[in-house]
Amino acid sequence: MRARSWTSPALAAALALLVLAVVLRAGMTRALIARVTADGPPRPVQLRVWDWWSSSTNEEYGGYFAELEATFERRNPDVDVVYQTVPFSNYVQKLSAAMVGPTPPDVFQSSIIWAESSYRRGMLRPLNDLLAADAHLPASQRVDEAAFLPPAWRHNQTVDGTVFGIPQIIDAQCLVWNLDILEEAAATDPEIRAMFSRLEDGTVDYEHIRFDAVRDWNHFRQLIGKLAVRGPDGQLERAGYVIHAHGSGADIFSPWLASNGGHYQDLAGTRALFGGRRGAETMHFLARLYWTDRVCPPFRRQLFDRELFQQGKVACVTAGTWSGKDIVRDTMGWTHFGKTAFPPGPSGSGQRSLTWGNMLVVTTRCRQVDAAWKYVRFTCSLEGNLLRSRHLGYNGPRRDFYDTEQWQRALTERPYLSNVKQICLVGEKFRHIEMEAANHQANPVFESLLLHYPDVVDGTGAYPSVEAALAGAAANVDNVYRRYNEQAASWEAARDRATAASGAVGDQASAGDPARASDPGPAER
Amino acid sequence: MPRHRLLRTLTPYLYIAPAFAVTATFGLVSMGISLWASFQHYDTYAGASGFVGLDNYRRALTGDDSYFWLAMRHTVVYVLLSVAGVLATALPLAMLCRRARYQSLFRTLYFLPSITPGVVLALVFYHIFGIWGQLLDSAWTALPALALLGVWAAAGYNMVIFLAGLTDIPRFLYDAAEVDGAGRWQQFRHVTVPMLRNTLVFVTVMTIIGSFQVFTSVYIMTSGGPERSTEVIAYTIFLNAFGVAGQMGYASALAWLLFAAIFVFVVIQMRVFRSRRVYDE
Repeated sequence: MRARSWTSPALAAALALLVLAVVLRAGMTRALIARVTADGPPRPVQLRVWDWWSSSTNEEYGGYFAELEATFERRNPDVDVVYQTVPFSNYVQKLSAAMVGPTPPDVFQSSIIWAESSYRRGMLRPLNDLLAADAHLPASQRVDEAAFLPPAWRHNQTVDGTVFGIPQIIDAQCLVWNLDILEEAAATDPEIRAMFSRLEDGTVDYEHIRFDAVRDWNHFRQLIGKLAVRGPDGQLERAGYVIHAHGSGADIFSPWLASNGGHYQDLAGTRALFGGRRGAETMHFLARLYWTDRVCPPFRRQLFDRELFQQGKVACVTAGTWSGKDIVRDTMGWTHFGKTAFPPGPSGSGQRSLTWGNMLVVTTRCRQVDAAWKYVRFTCSLEGNLLRSRHLGYNGPRRDFYDTEQWQRALTERPYLSNVKQICLVGEKFRHIEMEAANHQANPVFESLLLHYPDVVDGTGAYPSVEAALAGAAANVDNVYRRYNEQAASWEAARDRATAASGAVGDQASAGDPARASDPGPAER
Repeated sequence: MPRHRLLRTLTPYLYIAPAFAVTATFGLVSMGISLWASFQHYDTYAGASGFVGLDNYRRALTGDDSYFWLAMRHTVVYVLLSVAGVLATALPLAMLCRRARYQSLFRTLYFLPSITPGVVLALVFYHIFGIWGQLLDSAWTALPALALLGVWAAAGYNMVIFLAGLTDIPRFLYDAAEVDGAGRWQQFRHVTVPMLRNTLVFVTVMTIIGSFQVFTSVYIMTSGGPERSTEVIAYTIFLNAFGVAGQMGYASALAWLLFAAIFVFVVIQMRVFRSRRVYDE
């Protein structure tokens, strides 16, 4: 008898059917396994929460989400929180697809990069009614404007006061100083020594740098010049400050612009404001640090500011206030660094920074608004802030967070946090409208100006002057804002028309069937 | 028509039906939607918000803040470098490989980059170029550096195709040429190249199409910089489609302009090759 061939059509068809059955069953099988492995009885409300903080790639995030979920579910036995990690780099694309698909998120963490446009596209639910209904709650549980530091409560609302997100973090750009280098220099230089705080007995506190350690831009140039070290051949052995030209122009430019009294854009998102005198002064200042003072390492795409800083090759870098924890981790426990805001420029006044607060939002397709709001409120409450700080080491956006014993203990254990609250408080609003499109227009110009500053100043560069280059870039960013606002207005008009139409249909239907009048139906979207 | 003849006529169509269904659903329908979107203001979530006629095309071709022509110029330079590079490496590699003792080993080694994800290659080369003198830091060297990566990644795949073409060339043609006194170079010029013409056409067309669509290396390694020197058309399309709210229509118009450019290039190339004699039919 001939042996049955593995390639016989019947067998192939059977295998194909088996594969098909497994694929079709996949969802149900997962549900079955979830039921079997569940700790308790099934929970009727499932809350889908999206985040880019990944439990699978970061143990700390894993611990944070595990405790957050366990605590929230214990207090809300009917709710099952299901986290989905979505990579930051393609968050928006996946979100756009999910929001028109069958399993949209109910709640997600939104970066300020997309929050405003997500709202204007119609993805986010306004939260004002939910905030108003919480007025009776204790202060530590409320998540209204009064609960947060003013710089945290900016990116989460429109100019007319519609709130579409609740801040769950606060971060600000700052100057991070290597205190080992400063302490060494302070031994012989009273000006460097004066950058440190004083203890009660009047001696120098080498663990803490003063918040206003740098008076102004000229003072910064002097200090950085002293901290840079050159070899016998005149080559830089240790840089004073890092300027990264390739691809990240606005990142270094914007906080210095803020300290010079300028803004990247207006609050309404209709105009770019960096093209004027303050912007030009900022660009000249940065370029001169590199080209005239020569206190920066060479422009290299592959060099990362923080890596140089951690290796002790530079005295000062620009970073976020959150960077401290990462520096400690990457240097296996080194904590002798400190943070300050940016000193004022010739047209500025006072220390400044740029601040932003990523937020939790509720989507317009959220099926369980009550559960979603409870989750947002818990996560952004004082308890949620402390939980996040305990697992992730981050400071919180709430006012009452800074009065807690936990924060005071953190300040003692990690002196580099000492100026963080003040830095956040002097923060201007980080730019927030169509950042990628604006970067596409402006960053190559910043890059060119930094890379070829001497040519531009000599009149032999790609631009007639720094001022003309910035004005041209700002005009192009204006176009980005104009197009975006036109688009957003058309989306809003379309939604208004749809709402009016569904309202008319609803009126007709409710006349015949009172039950349908209370069912929001698809128009809820 | 008799039943068996009908079945016989239908059978080939039934065989190609599944593949056609996939192509139609994920290719033709998507292309149709993108063509429609190119005449709209379109957002991936909010949907279409108005017919704009040829405005998106006009903006791409003549807009003050359009980078279409700049991106197209960079793309064409990249294509030329890639085609020249691939032909200059894949064919010699194939000829060397054919003579090599462990042919299958070399074939496998050279083919490896083709099965390695582009993201991984880009990350590896990002660091290699950094160590080798900052090729990605200068506007003059960044695009050639990306083309070098493209050639390195594509050489192995095209080598295998050339190898298959070389294997098909009858041995007696070389013997006859040798008898006629032809040296190595003359054998290559008068036997190998003409007999590989179809393979050359295939490799060139595929390299042109692939190079026009270069994206991963630009996205990972340079983000279009420094100073826009590596901004290629696929990157511009991606940025507008997924990085800017409401610009999917404009991005679709850019994509159709790219399609037109590739079409023109390929048609020109096919005509150039068709004008010659065919040896291997």
